[in-house]
Formats: sequence, structure tokens, C-alpha cells
Amino acid sequence: MLLRLDDVRRHFGGVHAVDGVSLEVEQGSIQGLIGPNGAGKTTLVNVITGYARFQSGRAWIESDELTGRPAYRIAAMGIARTFQNIRLFKDLTAIENVLIGMHTRRRDDTLAQLATLPIFRTAELSRVKDAYTLLETVGLQKSVGTRHAATLPYGDQRRLEIARALALRPRLLILDEPAAGMNPNEKQGMRELIERLNADGLTILLIDHDMRLVMGVCKRVAVLNFGKKIADGTPEEVSTDATVIKAYLGTGGEREVTSAPGASGVAEETDVEQAASTSRAAREPDNPILDVENLTVSYGAIVAVRGVSFRVAKGEVVALIGANGAGKSTILNTLSGLIRAGSGSAVFDGLDLISAKASSIVRRGLVQVPEGREILARQTVLENLELATWARRDGAATRAQIDAVLKRFPILGERRDLSAGSLSGGEQQMLAIARGILAKPRLLLLDEPSLGLAPQMVDEVFRAIEEIHKDGTTILLVEQNALRALAIADRAYVIETGRILLSGSGDELLHNPAVRRAYLGG
Amino acid sequence: MDQQIVNAIFIGSIYALFAVGYTLVFGILDILNLAHSAVFMLGAATTYTLVVKYGQVFWVASVVGIAASALMGLVIEHVCLRPLRRRQAPPIAALISTIGLALIIVAAVEQGKQGSLFSWLWVDGANSVAFPAGTIPNPTWHVADLSLDASKVVIIPVSIALMLVLGYVMRYTQIGRGLRAVAENPRAARLMGLDVDRMITLTLVISSALGGLAGILFGVALGDISPYIGRDNVEVRGLAVIVLGGMGSIPGAVIGGYLLGLVEIMALVTFGSSARGGVAFAALFLMLVLRPQGLFGTRLRERI
Amino acid sequence: MDFFISLVSDPVAFWNSHTLLIAQIGINCIIATSMFLVLYSGQLSLAAPGFMAIGAYVSVLMSNYWHTPGVVSTIAAALLAGVIGFLVGLPVLRLRGVFLAIATIGFIEALRLGVILNVPITGEGLGLSNTRSADPLGAINFILVSLIVIVFVVWRLTKGRLGNAWAAIRQDELAALSQGIDVARYKMIAFVLSALMAGYAGALEAHLFFNIDPGDAQYGVTRAVQVLTFAVLGGSGFVLGPVVGALIITLLPYIFQGAGDYINILAGIFLIAVIVFRPQGIVGRGGLALVRPAWWPKARVSAASPG
Repeated sequence: MLLRLDDVRRHFGGVHAVDGVSLEVEQGSIQGLIGPNGAGKTTLVNVITGYARFQSGRAWIESDELTGRPAYRIAAMGIARTFQNIRLFKDLTAIENVLIGMHTRRRDDTLAQLATLPIFRTAELSRVKDAYTLLETVGLQKSVGTRHAATLPYGDQRRLEIARALALRPRLLILDEPAAGMNPNEKQGMRELIERLNADGLTILLIDHDMRLVMGVCKRVAVLNFGKKIADGTPEEVSTDATVIKAYLGTGGEREVTSAPGASGVAEETDVEQAASTSRAAREPDNPILDVENLTVSYGAIVAVRGVSFRVAKGEVVALIGANGAGKSTILNTLSGLIRAGSGSAVFDGLDLISAKASSIVRRGLVQVPEGREILARQTVLENLELATWARRDGAATRAQIDAVLKRFPILGERRDLSAGSLSGGEQQMLAIARGILAKPRLLLLDEPSLGLAPQMVDEVFRAIEEIHKDGTTILLVEQNALRALAIADRAYVIETGRILLSGSGDELLHNPAVRRAYLGG
Repeated sequence: MDQQIVNAIFIGSIYALFAVGYTLVFGILDILNLAHSAVFMLGAATTYTLVVKYGQVFWVASVVGIAASALMGLVIEHVCLRPLRRRQAPPIAALISTIGLALIIVAAVEQGKQGSLFSWLWVDGANSVAFPAGTIPNPTWHVADLSLDASKVVIIPVSIALMLVLGYVMRYTQIGRGLRAVAENPRAARLMGLDVDRMITLTLVISSALGGLAGILFGVALGDISPYIGRDNVEVRGLAVIVLGGMGSIPGAVIGGYLLGLVEIMALVTFGSSARGGVAFAALFLMLVLRPQGLFGTRLRERI
Repeated sequence: MDFFISLVSDPVAFWNSHTLLIAQIGINCIIATSMFLVLYSGQLSLAAPGFMAIGAYVSVLMSNYWHTPGVVSTIAAALLAGVIGFLVGLPVLRLRGVFLAIATIGFIEALRLGVILNVPITGEGLGLSNTRSADPLGAINFILVSLIVIVFVVWRLTKGRLGNAWAAIRQDELAALSQGIDVARYKMIAFVLSALMAGYAGALEAHLFFNIDPGDAQYGVTRAVQVLTFAVLGGSGFVLGPVVGALIITLLPYIFQGAGDYINILAGIFLIAVIVFRPQGIVGRGGLALVRPAWWPKARVSAASPG
């Protein structure tokens, strides 16, 4: 066993982020660690690598104990990692990033530098040569070396981070969501890279919440949920485990499903693409309240949304489904005016969303309930609701509506004077939705409302969404939980790596075999 | 001794008033507005100039002084802060650009040439000036066996009233809620329809008005007005206060201000006047080392 | 303008008549380099004037009471500044960003107002008279040679393993940890070296004058701001950046002769303009061509040289 974890625990305040996890990673294997968002995977990694303290439990790499050691020592002991959100040295060049990774292997050369003897030049040149070799190993071209890390395309940045980690010549490489936001081809490339590295004998711990990637590559997989390990076995065993399926889909999903979404591997996504080319697009509404045409949005070098077009008619529920990082949230944030689009158009009831100010957009009636809820934790529930009526100017009606909302969501009524931060995840989601309603939306955007919620809360949330819909509000829903989303949607679009692959009525897509395999677990 | 207590409370009021403006900006924008002490001085200088050079009645002059300070808040936002926000500059950049503006303000007031706006500085070669006697009624009150300057005493309830008003606005009005929302989560605020830029401008205006007012009160009660009163009295002490109270916390700034006033006067009484200066910084240093978030601040934690 | 004319037309005479200015430029450049070290490693420390004060007072006291030769007292004072730098750094270096800046301001003002103004031996408010001040003309060579050595040393440091670590720390401390870099230790090294340098500069400066005074413009926030301005104007990505900044700022009153009181207004405008429009400073990253003559051998792709 290369890595051994024994009953590791870590909690923040009342949240048990890592709740007694034990794990063994075999030397030379690729071990997967998966779980839904918020399951505690990254926290566990942070504890192992010394960024967070062990509250109890221990860990070893071979015979060296990791418990309680600082992060830089653990790295020096041969555990390299990448980060979920990519932490490259942005203003340094790619090659410099890798060279810094060699820090632990270099001897201190202060005196050498001062003396500027040619001997030391050769040491430096050989390091540079090694660094270029590493770039090659991860599949980057030589020309990338002298470019600043911030200017590299997303996929290259991920690879560069791996190259930098490899410079440590580690015994164990921990990859934290290395393929997040990649399209199927890129994911395939990443998969091949991981296999190549492992073939050379490197032990790898692969963290992800995407079953697809993990299934084909890992020898063993451990599944976390709410901080606990709920399964540990081969990919086969794990993907058909009932507890795992429930964790990923919530209740209501089990009867329809025989395996976890994406369990058959990366290849399924390309099936969807094929399905897209053969099916006919559903009819787009003629008089849309929201008309998006050829929208393209980029973050620096990364094109997050490419030429997306869709429409939403009044009174509809339209769902955008797709994997994490597909660009769904980016679309919503562009519609809300938080991000500026590169090109294309988006018109809501005559208002040009591309050029309008965020506050005007809300005033017009396009309101977003953001991902992660983003409530004001330090203010009370009531204050959050009162603030939500900022954009409105009808004072008396507002008071009445706040009372109505508090009645409709009794939990909120009970907790009206408590700080919003003390509510549970599900209650906060209710608050966020209530807040959205109070802004008197004509079009309500919901970004991942079921994220990180326990199954019962998910039921409640979707019930609330249906009620809002019945009241006549148009809804644009972004959800990873495709099953739920398609069940209540009138129409839906499948988005993958910034493009719309497929569209149709909720029912059609729910029964489309390619979609089922890729997003619904068969 | 009791006399000194009054002094302590008085100077604490000035510190508190000044620090509230400081901490308001930090709480909402996460930046330190180092032009704040220059605005403190500007309030006093403008009021003085209007009284002495243009023969205005004090009350009118002070309203104009406060207005000038508030206006400077607008300048700070549009010249120093907004261009940096648009360029997504790190918070340190705002620190530096406000330092630049402070340099400009102080240097402008320093212009003592004859006929220029602030030429009063060079009257009789004095280094600092005071409001002429009679500008504002300032009898000496005799209470118990204390001789108290009326101005000093009156400033205390005035300051407290102002801070209570601000506290009320922040807690119970829609605008206050809006400001707190921007402080806590600008993104959520935007999604609720708040115009964040406008909120930020408002913050700077309020903060600067408070700073300028503190300067005017200082000038009135202590009879000391010069281009350097900001730098010498409140610039660094203001930092000490907000660190003590917790950066971003208004109650913290108030309590910190009075605390510092008290501690300084106690040091003065115990060790003599020379100790007074070092006290603030010793306290500042200790607080940062032991409890960087101050008395009422929240711990900052970076997420991986 | 006459200033530059005389510089170009008769350099020797210029040199002789402007010794104090040249000496001050040299000293400011050394202080600027001390600022470079902390900024390069990502620490916004404004502690330089405090260490300068230590260097100044200690070396003058040594000269006055123990009659040590100038060189000895200067170096001893610098070393002491370094030691105090270590002690100050211990509690302070875990603070980040603005908090570190504030703590260092607290340090310099506590030192100035709390210690210097209260301890009789320093002459308190009146300052300390230097019974053996050096002749600027004699000191200039020493100062300029020191400057060249210091800049060379710091430059070489940035190219080595130490400099790489500093560059990484400045970019992203958490990522640096993941590469095995002992962030706390390297930050301390930069901080102590910077204190040493500032102490050295302070001692040198003290020996130029007959009297050192503890005013705000010498060792207080005003000085700290001035030193920060050197680094911001010139850019802290490359060792010569702050040096260039120091050169320009020190010469400012001479370039704009007759500007008198408006100098500060100009400085303020520069500061705002630079930080908004060219935050990497004049020398910045790509600005190497400005300061390196064409015949200078082009460095091969060497480790972590963001300059």
C-alpha cells in the first residue's frame, strides 16, 4: 500500500466535511475518489496534503506519516497535487512554472549564483532540458514553454499543472478534477495521459465527480457522500451500487435507473453528438420572451460558450442540461448582465441583455437564483427578503407579497429573524428562490437549484419550482440533475462544452437513449 | 484626572468618527482609503478658509466644508477606485492610488502663496492656525471642580448622535441593507438589482463627509488647523482604531476609537505626554499579531 | 533644464558640485533595492524607514561614543537592523496583503514615536548630532560601490533557487507550498535581507549629515510612502525597477525646477497614473530594453526571471 488513510475527520463549524474516511491506495494503481459536489473530496485531499489540519485520524505514505505535517514538507515527501481551480503561476512562463516544481530537487545555489561560474550554467541548462521533457510528457508542444501561463488555453493549463507536479518526481500524484470543463475529446486525451503516466509506474489518486472519466481509468474507486465513504470497490461494483446511484440522482431516480449516469464511460458523450446529428430539432417558439442568437462568451483564452442559440416562450419551463463545466452557468450569468458576451445577441422582452446594466435587467423582470444560492448569510431571512424587493417600487404590495411568500414557505416564516447563514442548505435554497420570486420576475433563471441538497430537499425544491410555474412565471432551469429537470421541463436543450447538441421536448429527451445513457444512467 | 477623562472621551469621539468612515469603505470595498486623512484635513481647512478669508458664518462654512469633503469622496471613487475596478486590479493598487490622491490634496492645501485659496497658512509664519475667537461660542463651563471647554463637551453627544444615526441607517433602512449586501456579496447584490457602482459611490461620499466633519470638529475644539493635521493625528491612529475594532465593523470602529482615546490618555497620565504617541502603534501591532481580525471582525480564510 | 545641460556639458564639475545629491541618489537606490526584495517575494512591507532609523541611530551612537570608524559602525548597525528584522518578522509575516502593510506601519511609528522620542540617548525630539559626519565627496564612492555590489547580489539572487521561490510565493503562496517551497522561511529571508539593506542605507545616510532627526519625513509614514513610490513607479518585477524609480523621484525637484511646492502634486499624479495605466511600472516586465544596453549578452531561458 502506498497511501493509507485511517478514519480521517475534518469539520468546519457544524459541517462534517470529512467524516471518518479510511482508504488504501495500492502502489502503482490509479485510485478514483468520486462523489457528488460537496461530498468532501477536495477537503480530504487538502487534509492529506497538509492544507487543512487533521482533526482526527492519521495518514501514511509508505512508512512515512503525513499526519500533522505542513504542506511543503508533504510535497517534499513526494506527494504532488493539482488544484480544482488551477493554481498556476500565472505571470510566469510555462517553462518557469515547471522549473519551480524542481525546487525540492535543487540544492541551494546562492553562492553559485553570486560566483556566476560556468559550471552552474550547465546545471541550469540541464534543468531546462528536463523541464521541456516534462512538457512533452504531458503532451504540450515546445513552443508553449515560453508563453505566460495565463495565456494558455484551458486544456493546456491543466496539462501544465500536471507537468509542474511531475517535476517533483513524486511517489503519488493527486489529480483534483483534472478534466473539469473539457469536451469529450479533451477528456479522452486527459484519460490517455493519466494512463500513460500510470504505465510508467506512477501511483495516481484521481478525484472527480464525473463518473465517466473515472470508470474507464481507475482500478478501484471510492465514493464519498456528505463526508462519508459510501462505497469502495471496482468501477463495476461501484457504479451499480444502489447507495451510489441514490447519491447521484436523489430519490425518484432509482426505479428508472440501472447504473449511475455516465457509468459506461466517456464514449457515451460522443453518442449524444451522433444522436444530435440524426435527430431533428424541436420546434422553437415563434413569439419568444427570450431570444438568444449565436451567443459566444469567453474568459480570457477559454471559449466557454460557442454560438449558442435558443428561445424561451412565455409560460414555459425550459431546461438546459449538460455536464459540469459545459457552459450553462456562463449562459445564465451573461443573460443577467454579470458577464459581457463576446458576440451574438440576447433579447429579453425588447431589452438588449448584452449591453444592459445588471440592475436594469433585474428591473425588467429577468431574475436569477444563482448557483450556490449566494444568500446574504449575515443578514436575517427577513432582511434578505426585504432586500430582494429593491428593484420594485410598489411599497404596499411588497409588504403583502413578503407575507405571502413567508406563508408559502413556512420554514422561512418560522426562521424569519434568524441569520440566513444558520439555515440548512435546503432552507437556504428555499430562501434564494423566495428572494427570486419577490423581485417579481417575468423570467426566472434557476442555476443548479438542487446542487448539494439532500434528496428530500430536492423534492421540495422542485415542488416549489412547479408551483411558481403554475403561477405563470416563465422558467429557465439549469440543472446537472437531468432526470428531475427533464421531468418538469416543457422543452430542453443539451449543452456540452459550450455548444447546444440537442433540443427537444422534455419527454423526448427523457426517452432518448443516448441522452439516457450519458446523463440519466441508462 | 476627571478632566482627562473628558479629554479622553472627546478625542475618542474624533477617532471614532474618523474611523467609522475608514472602516465603512474597507467593509464594502475591501480596500484601505488612504486619502481619508487628507479629507479630514480638507474639511477643516475649507471651513477655516471660508470663515477667515471669506467672512462666512461658521455654520454655513462648516456645511460647505462637509460638502467639499463629500465631493472629494466622489473624486476618490471616480479617479482612484473605479478605473482600477474596471481593470480588475488587485486591492493593493487602490491603496497606492489613494496615497497618490492624498499627496495631491495635502500639497494643494500647502500652497501658501499669497492670494491662493489656502494662503492663511502663512499668516504670521504660523505653522498652524485656529479659528478666531468668537467664531463659535465656546464658553468654559465649570462643573464640579472641572473647567471644561464647551466645544469639547458638546462634540461628544454630537458625534455619538451621528454614529447612532449611521447605525440606524445601516441596520433598518433599505439603503443600509443594500450597502451591507454589497459589502458581503457584491454578486448577490447585483443579482437582486442593486446598482453596485452607485452604492460604492454613496459609500465614499458618506465616508468622506464623516471624515471631513471629524476634521472640522477637531479644528474647532483643538484650535489646530494645518495641512498636516490629518497625517499627524488620525492617519495612522485611524488604522490602529480599525484594526482594534475589526476591519469592516462599524461598531468596532466606534468602540475602538473610544478605547484608543482612553488608552492614550491613560498613558499620558501615567507615563507623560511622550508615551502617548507610541501607545497607538504598540496596540496596533499587538492586535495584529494576536488577533488580526480585531475585536469584531471576522476571520478571513482563503479557499482552496 | 539647466540641470541637465550642466550635467552633459561638464560632468566633472557637475559631480563635484552635486555630491550630496549624488550621495542621496545612491542611498535612495539602496533603499529602493531593499523594497524590491520584499515586494518581489509578495510582501507589502513598509518597514524600511524603521530599519533605516535603527541603522542611523546605532551607527551614529557607535561613532559618537565608541569612536568606531565609519565602516565598522555602518556594518554593525546594518547587522543589528537585520536581527531586529528577524524579530519583527516572526509575528508579522503570517499577515497578508494590507494587514502586513498596516503592521509594518505600526512598527515604524511605534519605533519612532514610542522608542526614539522617549529614550534620552537618542536625543529624543531634537535628534542626534553626528560628531563625526563624513564628507560627502569621500562617502560617494563608498555609497556607489555599495550600490553596485548590492544590486548585483540581489540580481543574482533572483536568478537562483531563492529567487525562483520568491517569484512563486509572490504569485501564489498556496501553489508554492505544493511545490515543496517553505514559504515562511523564504519570506523571512527576504524580510531580513531587506532589513539589513535598509539599516545599511540608514547608517550611510546618517553619516552624510551633521544631525539626524526623527521626523516623519525621515523615518515615518511619509518616508515609507516615498520608498513605496520608488518601487511602484519603477516596477518591482526586475531589480533595476525600484532603482530607476528612486532615481527619477529624487531628481524630480531638479527636473522641474521652480515647481517648488507642486512637486508633491506631480508625484501624486504620477503615482495614480502609473498604478492605473501601467501597474507593472516603468521598467516593468517587458521594459528590460530600456535599461539594458544592446550589447549585454542575452540571457538564455533562465529560471523564473519575470524581469
